[in-house]
Amino acid sequence: MSPLFERQVDKLREGHFLVLYWVARAEDTGHAYNITNAFDDLKAQGITRTKQTAVAMIEALDALDFLRLQGQGNRKHLLITEDGARALERLVHKGAFQPRRSSFLEAQS
Amino acid sequence: MTIGIGGAGSKLSALLDPHNLIINVSEIELEKVRAEEKLLAVLHSEKGQRRGARKNPLLGAEAFASIKVRLMDRIKGELVFASTGGGTGNGICSQILNELAAQKEVPEEERTRFGLLVPYAPQESAEYVKNTIDFLSGPVSRAVDSGNTGNIFLFSNREKYEKRLSEPRFNEQLVASLRNFLDIPARGAALPLLEGHIDYEDFDLYLSRPFFNYFTSFELGGEEDFGSLLARHANPYLLQPDAPIEALFFLELPTGWDPTVFYRVVDHLVRSSAAPIFSVAENPERQRPFITLSLLYSRKPEGLVADFQRIAQTHDEERIRKSVEQQVTLRPQRVDLEQEARKAGQRAGKSEEDVLSVLRRIGKLR
Repeated sequence: MSPLFERQVDKLREGHFLVLYWVARAEDTGHAYNITNAFDDLKAQGITRTKQTAVAMIEALDALDFLRLQGQGNRKHLLITEDGARALERLVHKGAFQPRRSSFLEAQS
Repeated sequence: MTIGIGGAGSKLSALLDPHNLIINVSEIELEKVRAEEKLLAVLHSEKGQRRGARKNPLLGAEAFASIKVRLMDRIKGELVFASTGGGTGNGICSQILNELAAQKEVPEEERTRFGLLVPYAPQESAEYVKNTIDFLSGPVSRAVDSGNTGNIFLFSNREKYEKRLSEPRFNEQLVASLRNFLDIPARGAALPLLEGHIDYEDFDLYLSRPFFNYFTSFELGGEEDFGSLLARHANPYLLQPDAPIEALFFLELPTGWDPTVFYRVVDHLVRSSAAPIFSVAENPERQRPFITLSLLYSRKPEGLVADFQRIAQTHDEERIRKSVEQQVTLRPQRVDLEQEARKAGQRAGKSEEDVLSVLRRIGKLR
């Protein structure tokens, strides 16, 4: 694990962690998780109140190549990359954040 | 010279010795007690120093820094009084003991003696008991192990509470009892000696031994076994001793009394593996033989702490029982066992495993 990768992961905040976690869960259960779902869940958890912030978090994860976006507009479907999985693994080992519930995923199950 | 730290320590030192030095963190408390010298330990407070350490030893420990150099020099070979339950005496004294424990070796003539006033656990506040437990298990234990202190007298407030004495009255009686012991070399010098000899140097050497000191005095009567006499005349102002290591006694006999009576005492002490140093003198003012006896014992402070902890636990149980009894009706709680199990699992790190197993399932983590 390169020092740059470690520094990048260490800068991630709880919102980033939750998006990565929810995206992975959605992929695991075979559901498409998009920016609107991520915004709704982040808002429900009190992480942010604006869609701009939610989009900025997702763009940051995309720029770091921790997420991949498929599709068009707000319907873009989010997928976690292998680097994203390693980043999430590191955050879990650090015990930095705790997973929280996703209204979207609960509604699907 | 004696040194009194904190409220209780200052009062005891003032009673025993007019040439005393008292130390406090509160100007008001300093003004209350007569002393030859007074030393204000400085607390960094924006409101001025009109308040004490408020039963918080951490405040006393902080204030110690301001007087450390002067105080560590002044206590050499002296008797320091402090109570273990409050904030100032406990806080400053614990720092003194820590400093002594850290020193390589303190010469015998420079070893400080301590008179520590321990609360009567069944009737004093749990805060005092807790402070005392911390004090005995930490600084006292370390200092005793280092061998760098002189005698430590563990005075107890028990008599005060059981006999319902006022504080000045209790202090007077305690100090009178201590003075009777400390006067042994002076009485020995003033009276005609019949056997043995304890001079000032012998006595000082005895006081510089790093053990707990228990002393008592009583009349030697009839043919009663000395052990049972000793038990019957226990000093109510001191904690009870453990098996003695060393002993010292001063026996005063009426004029014409058979001096060999001292063998009764020696035999008993030798049976307890504490061969004594002693002195027998003729005192025409006595009607019956009168003995002042001291035992040095090295009871591990853990033993004392165990006693206090047992009492503190009883206090806690009693408090919990009372608060439960006050809540007359307890509403039944609905518990979702599945949810509780999930929460417990998360607390135990199950959530961590969950996240990683998701990542493995989707093949992103190898």
